[in-house]
Amino acid sequence: MEEQLAELAAKLAEVEAKTNVTNTMFAEAYYYLTIPLMILIHAGFLAYEMGASRVKNVLSSGVKNILAFAFMIPTFYFFGWWVYWAFPTGLSLSMGAMEISGLDYANSIALGWGDATAAMGPNINDQSAGVFFGAFALFACTTASIMSGAVIERIQTVGFTILAIVLGSFAWVVAAAWGWHADGWLVTKFGVHDFGAAGLVHAVAGFFALGVLLNLGPRIGKFNADGSSNHIAGHNMPLTVTGLMLIIVGFWGFLMACVIIPGEAWSWYNDAPATIYGTPITLSALAFNILMGISGGVIGAWIYTKDPFWMMSGAFAGIISVASGLDIYFPALAFIIALVAGIILKPCANWLEQRGVDDAVGAVTVHGTIGLFGVIMLGVFASGYPALDAFMGDGVRPTVSLWGQIVGAVVFGLLGFVPGYICSFILNQMGMLRTPEAAEIAGLDPAKVPAQGYPEGIPTSPAASS
Amino acid sequence: MGFPYDTGDWSPIFADGASGVMFMGWGGAAPGFYTFVAVVLCVVVLWKGNKSEHEQYEKLEK
Repeated sequence: MEEQLAELAAKLAEVEAKTNVTNTMFAEAYYYLTIPLMILIHAGFLAYEMGASRVKNVLSSGVKNILAFAFMIPTFYFFGWWVYWAFPTGLSLSMGAMEISGLDYANSIALGWGDATAAMGPNINDQSAGVFFGAFALFACTTASIMSGAVIERIQTVGFTILAIVLGSFAWVVAAAWGWHADGWLVTKFGVHDFGAAGLVHAVAGFFALGVLLNLGPRIGKFNADGSSNHIAGHNMPLTVTGLMLIIVGFWGFLMACVIIPGEAWSWYNDAPATIYGTPITLSALAFNILMGISGGVIGAWIYTKDPFWMMSGAFAGIISVASGLDIYFPALAFIIALVAGIILKPCANWLEQRGVDDAVGAVTVHGTIGLFGVIMLGVFASGYPALDAFMGDGVRPTVSLWGQIVGAVVFGLLGFVPGYICSFILNQMGMLRTPEAAEIAGLDPAKVPAQGYPEGIPTSPAASS
Repeated sequence: MGFPYDTGDWSPIFADGASGVMFMGWGGAAPGFYTFVAVVLCVVVLWKGNKSEHEQYEKLEK
């Protein structure tokens, strides 16, 4: 009998070990696969921005995007990842209640030197640090790319790259530490809830772009002496629209990476997926609400503009407008909120343009304005829901509230605008922001890129040339 | 039924026998109301879109 029990116990241990390995491999593969999905966002941004550029600037727009992506990875490794873990409780860098934040914690897991490197490189005992780092690094790349469309056709490459580093490896990371971390003070003190990063990625990036645009100035020929504006058409709308659809594809990877898989040592729960805040979420919930968000945004933008560029921007706006509450919106409500976002998109973009801001692709509106709209909408509809649930036990949970979401929105907007304005101001004073007028008129490609976008030219159809 | 605002925690969602539903408005009239509004919006959009498209066709035919 005892022998049988011992044998059964050994078999049980073996099954348990195999189950653990399976869960660990699944969790690692899950986050690993979000990385190439998020790289699709950058394929999309490339197509989108190159299509929105005039022929003379097409490759320089592409180079800008590719280089920003490339610089995001090492800078996020050097300091961005550290910022996320060090800053949640605020500038004091103290450890939070969950004990996964603060200076000491960040120094132990997120530095590229010393003992911390055990969690910053290949390690057979660690099947999570690298894929988490990778997912977050791609969030950083996405955030930086949001700015890049607004500033096409007149920004210097290195100046832009420096701005992208400030935005992607610092500004949004501080926002994430404060509003997308269980120890974040915006979450613990104000109940800020932003599951899909509408505020901490999109609003931060959009308002950072606004700060840059105020110093960068409009493209030559955009505005007339009387203040009226001219539409500067990109050379390839089909490429732009296809690029936007690719970004939508990649966003599924972004949003699935926002889910915390169960059953691991770092999971919130053993048997249920959760948000970064430890509140319940399922991929099914995401599927319902992301699809409704995309659709609502497209439909709202179509009825107002009939323009495929704005329809696809509407798809984006739709997702962003419901991103904060993808975990708890009823799908039909998500559709309605997204449709409203699609409708208000073009009027908001026009409003900005009437004030002399040349945002080449509407990034400030789609991401900044709609990002804040999305954060605040959750406060309107979800007041009372616990914003944080991880290991709270009988503790008082911070809850979502309209006031809290407004505070979050203001903080996110400022975290974007202030560094964007200051850094671009400094770069402008150093002569590193705007390209010279002669280069802008002749085209940036001859100045920046040793290749031609269309060496044989773009053939026109006989009907177009007759 | 509905989210337990009085306790303000998620544990009833996980309780044995609970429906597990976690979206806002569950257990009340809100989901049906939102679904109705969404359907109406889709119909209105298609109607308005069709009307404006035909107005454009008529302009081109003149």
